[in-house]
Amino acid sequence: MLLRNTYNEFIKIVSKPRSFLGFGALTILISLIIFAMKMDGETIVSFITASFEQTLSFNGKIVNGNLIAFIILQMLVVHIPLLVALVTGDLISGEAAMGTIRMLASKPISRTKIVFSKFLAGAIYTLLLTIWLGILSLVVSHLVFGSGDLIVLNSDGLVILQEADILWRFGLGFCVAFLALLTVATLSICFSAFAENSIGPIVATMAVIIVFTIIGSLDVTVFDSIKPYLFTTHMASWRSFFEDPIPFESIYQSIIVLIIHIVLLVLITIFKFNKKDITS
Amino acid sequence: MKKLVVQLLIFTSVSVSAQTANAVIDNINSKYNAVKDYTVNANIKADIPMIKILPNNVKIYFKQKDKFKIESKGIVIVPKQGFTELNNFISNKSKYTAVFGEYLTIGNVKTRLINIIPNESSGDIVLAKIWVDMAKMVIMKSQITTVSNGTVNVDYTYGDQVSRGLPSVMKFEIDVKKFKVPKSVAADINKSSASKKKNTKTKGTITISLSGYKINSGLNDKIFTKKN
Repeated sequence: MLLRNTYNEFIKIVSKPRSFLGFGALTILISLIIFAMKMDGETIVSFITASFEQTLSFNGKIVNGNLIAFIILQMLVVHIPLLVALVTGDLISGEAAMGTIRMLASKPISRTKIVFSKFLAGAIYTLLLTIWLGILSLVVSHLVFGSGDLIVLNSDGLVILQEADILWRFGLGFCVAFLALLTVATLSICFSAFAENSIGPIVATMAVIIVFTIIGSLDVTVFDSIKPYLFTTHMASWRSFFEDPIPFESIYQSIIVLIIHIVLLVLITIFKFNKKDITS
Repeated sequence: MKKLVVQLLIFTSVSVSAQTANAVIDNINSKYNAVKDYTVNANIKADIPMIKILPNNVKIYFKQKDKFKIESKGIVIVPKQGFTELNNFISNKSKYTAVFGEYLTIGNVKTRLINIIPNESSGDIVLAKIWVDMAKMVIMKSQITTVSNGTVNVDYTYGDQVSRGLPSVMKFEIDVKKFKVPKSVAADINKSSASKKKNTKTKGTITISLSGYKINSGLNDKIFTKKN
C-alpha cells in the first residue's frame, strides 16, 4: 500500500507543470554556464590562479570538463534547493489548498504512511533532479571540453587532482549533494504539513536556508557553537571530496547531521499530520 | 700620486677579473650554443605551500634561442622564470658586466661566484649570480633577481650531458610570500578563520628531473605553436 501510494504521489508530482520547471531551469542555467566557459573560460580561470601566476606557470589543459562540472556544482548548489522546495513544499499544503486532503486522509492508509509516501515521492523527485544535474554538468561538460586534471581552489590553497582520481569523487560528491537536497525537501514537506497554501512552505524553506547560510558564512565567534548543527553548514560537504587528503571524518559527521535532520523533520511531519484537524 | 696609483691598480684588477669572468661565461655560452635544440623527458615534483599537486611526467622541447614548450597530459606547475632567461641574458655580453666573487663548495664541487650586473637599468633582470664549476665549466647554482618575479634560486645537478652543459636535475626555490587565495572564489563556508591552517612556509621548491635528452634533432618550429 505504501509503495502504491508512493507511486500515486509521484504521478501527482509529474502531472504538475511546476515539477518540470526545475529540470528546465537547470538545463538553461547549465547551458549558459557551459557557453560562457567556452567563450571566456581561460579569463574566468585566471582569477583563480592570478596570485600564483606571478611566480608560477600553469601548463596543461586547465579548462576541461571536470573543472566545468565542479564550477557548475558550486554555482548551483545555492539555487537547486529552491527548485526542490518548489515541488516538495507543495506536497501536503497543495492538497489542503486544492481541497483533496480530506479525500486523501479517508483512504485506507494510515496518515503516517501518507507522509512516508509523500516523503519517498519527494526523494525520488530530488534524486532525478540530482541525476539530471550530474548528466548535464559532467557528461555535457566532458563532451564540450574533454577531460583533464581538476584544479580546485580551497581556502587553504590550490589542490590539483589527477584525471584518473576524479570521477569517483564526483560520484560520492553527488551522493552527499543528494542527501543535502533531501534535507531541504524534507524541511519543505515539514513546513507543508503546517500550512494550508503552497507559497508559505516554499518561502519559509528558502528563508531558513538563506538565514542559516548567512550565519554559516559569517566569520564571527559567537556563531561558532551553533554552526556545526545547522544543516546548511553540511550542505557544502560534497566539496570535501575534492580535498587532499579527503577529510572523511568531517564528511561522516556531515552525513550524520543531515540524516538526523531528515529523521527529525519526518517525525515532526508525521506528528503534525497525525494531529492535523482536516477541515478543508 | 699615491692615490692615482691605487685607483689605477683597482681599475686594472677589476678589468682583469671581469675579463676572466667573461671568459668563463664564454665557455658556458659556447656549450649552450652548441645545443641547437633538444627534447627531454621530465618529472616535475612541486613542494609548494598552498598548492597540492602530485609529481607529473612531461616532455620538454627547447630550440635556440628562446623557444620553449612543455607538453603534458595533465596540469603541471613550473617556475615562470629560470629555464631560458639566464642563458639568453648571458649570451649577449654587451648587456652586462661580469665580476668574480668568492669561492663556494656545493656538495663536493668547488665553485666560483660570478656576479652579473646589467649595464642598463631598463631590463627585467636586476642582478644575476652564478656559481660555476670551474673544472667542468657548468653552472651549479644560479640566483636571478628580476623586477617582475623577485628572486629565483636554482640548483643544478649534472649527469651524462654534463659535457653539453645540460643538467639532469634542476631544483627551483620559489618565494611564496605573495600567494593569496581569493576569498570570493574559495567558497569554503565550512571552515572558520580559526580552523584554517596558517601557512608559515615562505619558500617552495620545484624539482625537475630530466632524462633521455635528444639533442640537435632538428625540431620543427610548429611544435612550439601547437597547443597541448
